[in-house]
Amino acid sequence: MREAPVFIAGMGIVSPLGRGLAQTLAALENNTTGISGLTLFTPPADRRLPVGEVRSVSGPADLPRTHRLARMAADEAMAGGTAAPDAVVVGTTTGGMGKTETLLRKKAARPNLLTHHGTGTVAEDIAARFGCTGPALTVSTACSSGAAAVKLALEMIRSGRARRVLAGGADSLCRLTYYGFNALQLLDPDGARPLDESRRGMSLAEGAAMLLLAAEPGPSPVAAVLGGGLSCDAWHPAAPHPEGRGARAAMRAALADAGIAPGRVDYVSLHGTGTPDNDLSEARALHALFGRRLPPLSSIKGATGHGLAAAGAIETAVAALCVRHGLVPGNPGCRRPDPRLGLSPLKRPRRQPVGCVLSNSFGFGGNNAALVISGPDAAPAASAPSHRRLYVVGSACLTAAGDTAGTLQALAAGGGCAGRAVPAAALEAVPARRRRRLGRFPALALALALGAREDAGDSGPPAGVFLGTAWGALSETGRFLDELFESGEKFASPTAFVGSVHNAAAGQVALLMDARGPNVTTSGGDGSFEQALLAAACLAPGRGEPVLVAGVDEHHETLSPLFDPSVAHGENAADGGGALYLSAAARPGAPAVAPVFIGAGRGNPAVIAAMIRALGGPERIRARCGALMVGIPAAHRAAGRRQLDEFREGCGLTAPVIDYRRWTGEFGAASAVAAALAVRFIRRGGLPAPLCGGTALELGGRSILVLGLGATVTALEIGGP
Amino acid sequence: MSAVETLIEELKIKIIDVLDLPDVTPADMDRDARLIGGPAGIDSIDVLEMVMMIEKEYGIRIDNQELGREVFATLGTLAEYIHQNRPEPAR
Repeated sequence: MREAPVFIAGMGIVSPLGRGLAQTLAALENNTTGISGLTLFTPPADRRLPVGEVRSVSGPADLPRTHRLARMAADEAMAGGTAAPDAVVVGTTTGGMGKTETLLRKKAARPNLLTHHGTGTVAEDIAARFGCTGPALTVSTACSSGAAAVKLALEMIRSGRARRVLAGGADSLCRLTYYGFNALQLLDPDGARPLDESRRGMSLAEGAAMLLLAAEPGPSPVAAVLGGGLSCDAWHPAAPHPEGRGARAAMRAALADAGIAPGRVDYVSLHGTGTPDNDLSEARALHALFGRRLPPLSSIKGATGHGLAAAGAIETAVAALCVRHGLVPGNPGCRRPDPRLGLSPLKRPRRQPVGCVLSNSFGFGGNNAALVISGPDAAPAASAPSHRRLYVVGSACLTAAGDTAGTLQALAAGGGCAGRAVPAAALEAVPARRRRRLGRFPALALALALGAREDAGDSGPPAGVFLGTAWGALSETGRFLDELFESGEKFASPTAFVGSVHNAAAGQVALLMDARGPNVTTSGGDGSFEQALLAAACLAPGRGEPVLVAGVDEHHETLSPLFDPSVAHGENAADGGGALYLSAAARPGAPAVAPVFIGAGRGNPAVIAAMIRALGGPERIRARCGALMVGIPAAHRAAGRRQLDEFREGCGLTAPVIDYRRWTGEFGAASAVAAALAVRFIRRGGLPAPLCGGTALELGGRSILVLGLGATVTALEIGGP
Repeated sequence: MSAVETLIEELKIKIIDVLDLPDVTPADMDRDARLIGGPAGIDSIDVLEMVMMIEKEYGIRIDNQELGREVFATLGTLAEYIHQNRPEPAR
């Protein structure tokens, strides 16, 4: 299907090549490299490797480096002095990790110093900086995050959810990624030499790029995003599929989405990290897709290094520069192309007209993204935006009371379900060898995925996996950092590192279920699950095959109270989550679900009024809504209560309010438990008495609104006429 | 028992422990069987986990993939490599 293009109305880059578009372009034209020695921290003498470091990072010293890099890029993208964007989408894997690990290393970590730890705080910071009160979304799909963020922004605009979205990626160098990639022996001691015969790995790097994407070209559009494609290898937690199966699927999907044939591609900007396996599998994917008619291609990662989540965004911005300036970059570091690859990368930059660029980004978990960038004038006719409806065909939750049945039973008996969730029973179906390396976070995710699929009566793979998590794999992260610091930065566990990435759980789900479609992990504090649902609504294949949407968080004794202010307030450790199996095709008895609203709750007095509008206004809310399930995180109780009062008064709503965190306990993905249970209440036609002040509630065909209040305000509607 | 044989028995226990191998006992591990992709289900990430264990326990670094492929071919090749490259214990 040929979709309308989305314009790049402004953009900004900061990378080891320099600050800003002009310096980046000059470096690319001169084929210079930004890879050199590490100065940010000092590893033991036998563990020093070249990196791509950004030399002068501006911004307040107490703000983590990733946030500062993102601000630098965003400031350039927004330099036109344009109005606030409708949404912000940032791809990042490190978030505030650089600052957090420094504090943990000094044993000086305190909750009030870690307010910007969460990956979601980068997008929130950028949104606040430019007055955006709409969704501030975070995509964390490892090294494809930046490109996946651009794809999500593209779909938000195409679907009419936003007109202008500031999207990109940012990551900073930190010990976790440096020692982690080193433990995987993926860093080249001589600096990255993508596609070279003697390459031994990548050079870890940092940076950011942000792009202002817009439905209208504006006064001076830079380029257009014609399309994008996402896929998952469903093959291995860290290594790419040897034949490049997922890479090829992502490229093919991007070209189809852009409505162009492979022959239209003038340049392929490779993922080209310089690891032996990546370059080989990418080459095989290219041969399979393009056959003998390979376009000019190169990897710039011998110049920029690999900026992880920043890479896909940086390379999107570079693709736009290539189109605008008629440049095909060289492939610094490659002297003798590896004959096994069968590729002839451009060794020197070349001046030639570039109409269309295919830009690749692949990551851990087999998460692949590809984007098609063209000039701003390649504009086909606009298609009418459409919101796809999604129907819940299966749901599951995990709490301390057990699975969905156990949880419902506990609630009906007047008890709660707060505490540590137990995934054991559901996981018996998973072979022992696959379970062996699963930490608590992926184990919870797998158990939820299996539970939701079973409830849906399905057994095949879901067409996409969307997982929201506030804090990700805390056990693996904690174990990795503990071991690293206890050994004086000598020993780092490769297993813990691979498991520590936010998208590790979604990757495991894809592996187990052979889910090769889009695989997206979102993260944004207490609204992480809602972000995953929004991502699914934007990115789920429209053919009606079901997709999985889950919200999962694990409790960690030391890290949870440090990171999550509501856990610090809470009395009892709690975790778990919920999962929905969603289909774009209606089924009898399957309630509709709509991610209606995500907005900033802080510094945004108009948020509740905006939510009421998004829900269709007071009259419509009164007519449809049979019950309110409201999540007010402990850290935001006072503000949340005020927001709730304003909402109920604002629409004159008398439906009962179920304050669900009272019985789920405090954890990021509590709203996913609420949503999964809401589905069951809708199916049963009512809510048990203990939840509704002693009298069982008949819904009479009306819907349940699941609201999240506090720092982020969210609304989902489940069921209804 | 030779020094290498003793080392092999020691390695079996350490490998099962560090990789948390389910349902595998030292008796199941054969000195000459393929270690990676063999019956114990050991994969490339496990190899790197063993690299860390071997540096910790024996002070030997196996820091590139080509060397790793040779050394981790079987339990026997691994034990031989450790035996030959082990720093002299301080007396």
